Amino acid sequence: MALIELKNLTKTFVTKTQSVNALKDINLSIEKGDIYGIIGMSGAGKSTLVRCINYLERPTSGSVIIDGRDLSTMSQKDLRQLRQQVSMIFQHFNLLQQRDVRGNIAFAMEIACMKKADIDRRIDELLDIVSLTERQHNYPSQLSGGQQQRVAIARALSTNPKIILCDEATSALDPQTTQQILSLLKDINQRMGITIVIITHEMSVVESICSHVAIIDEGHLAESGPVEAIFSQPKTDAAKRLIFRNVQKTDKLIGDRMVRIVFDGQQADEPVIAELISQCHIMVNIQFADTRNVGGKAFGQMILQLPEDHLQQDKAIYFLKEMGLKVEEVSGHAL
Amino acid sequence: MPFDKMVPLMIGGVRDTLYMTLVSTLFAYLLGFPLAILLVLTSPKGLKPIPVLYRIMDAIVNIFRSIPFLILLIMVIPLTRFIAGKAYGSTATIVPLVIAAAPYVARMIESSLLEVDPGVIEMAQSAGASIPTIVFKVLIPEAKTSLIVGATISTGTILGYSAMSGAVGGGGLGQIAISYGYNRYQTSVMLVTVVLLVILMQIFQITGMTISRKTDKRTRE
Repeated sequence: MALIELKNLTKTFVTKTQSVNALKDINLSIEKGDIYGIIGMSGAGKSTLVRCINYLERPTSGSVIIDGRDLSTMSQKDLRQLRQQVSMIFQHFNLLQQRDVRGNIAFAMEIACMKKADIDRRIDELLDIVSLTERQHNYPSQLSGGQQQRVAIARALSTNPKIILCDEATSALDPQTTQQILSLLKDINQRMGITIVIITHEMSVVESICSHVAIIDEGHLAESGPVEAIFSQPKTDAAKRLIFRNVQKTDKLIGDRMVRIVFDGQQADEPVIAELISQCHIMVNIQFADTRNVGGKAFGQMILQLPEDHLQQDKAIYFLKEMGLKVEEVSGHAL
Repeated sequence: MPFDKMVPLMIGGVRDTLYMTLVSTLFAYLLGFPLAILLVLTSPKGLKPIPVLYRIMDAIVNIFRSIPFLILLIMVIPLTRFIAGKAYGSTATIVPLVIAAAPYVARMIESSLLEVDPGVIEMAQSAGASIPTIVFKVLIPEAKTSLIVGATISTGTILGYSAMSGAVGGGGLGQIAISYGYNRYQTSVMLVTVVLLVILMQIFQITGMTISRKTDKRTRE
């Protein structure tokens, strides 16, 4: 049984003049312990989707099942109790400006009606986890963005949740701070076994920490599955647009015969191209490359322009296939 | 007027004015605060939208805000008699002052509460907070600075109203200004009351702004 299950989830916003289908028939299973990335262009419906998971937005139809309980059958009171188990952090941190760091962390525990002494003890533990002990009496306006998000994470952790939902949690941060926050989240996931759902429009976030990814495009679920599978062989146009998003830049590409080789994580430290050149004595021209390191494995694609000689072309394709790469022929215009 | 008569007259005037202003402000807040919270919660974009209730309260507030205070003073004389037993004097004046100030105060508080970052309210909801919890732990504390500024402005406005009530038999400095300064041509008395009203307003303003600044945690030190 999956921890979070979305079945035929649909959300339609009705205004006076029109109705907008924010989400259309989404089916998704998130297992306990996953770090599940939900990625899409802005306006794709990801924020609505994450708010349906804790019922801040009530779906128009379909169901959200958390830990075996269908949220549509729960009372408001039960939903509020459930939300103590499903914490959320936000793009703009959303801290209480008139409370200091300790007060902000205490907030979720006060709602959970914990005892004052227990709250204080728990705050000390959490300050240690997010390394903010020195800042405990500061107010949000005195903290940097990364520090504020760490306060938000401490608050989210305070009630020992099963799930943390992250709504563009790193989008307001610089790349270095983003990495700090992501590694903190990964650490929390590994040490405490908390399932994390990450909404983002940044591919790099999914690459650095997610185990699974769902691609949302115009309210539809385009593709979902383990990150490695989706990144190496995106099937839908929406997924390809996101993963190979830089390909369009090479539209000047013209040539005789070209192949796209796809790295799917197997050849991480093998110098494939160097071997092609040194062993087969075949010269290739790298027209385009977009590869990345995901958890120590290489993913991505490269487009090679092959030499004029047909025999050499076939030899190169054979060699690349032998190396375990996926090879497909492309024409310059088809890109 | 000789100085030794002026002093006790003015002390009495200041005392009555303070009494009317502060008691009226207190009652205006007792009525206006719940009204403002209901306005914020039941508005179409609120946490508990009840459009019909919102529109009724919104209309009532607007109607009372549109009536000029001097006319309201006269209009509510029967009610004033019923509540206070008479229609003149400081205590009686509190009735129209509260009726005029409560909708004003409600609007002030409403606008302060609406300034609270919707993201923080969403955070509270996502943490499982109920509506009363959001009101008392998020809306009011986060709006605190703005609420104090609003209270300062409201008290100043009510001080002005209380002076105006002197025209129709209210007590305090306003009455002294009108009965001595206007009816008996003692301009010097009128000037003294004006100076005292200015000083009172300054005291309210400086006190309120100092409190709001000292309690605001948003400014970097």
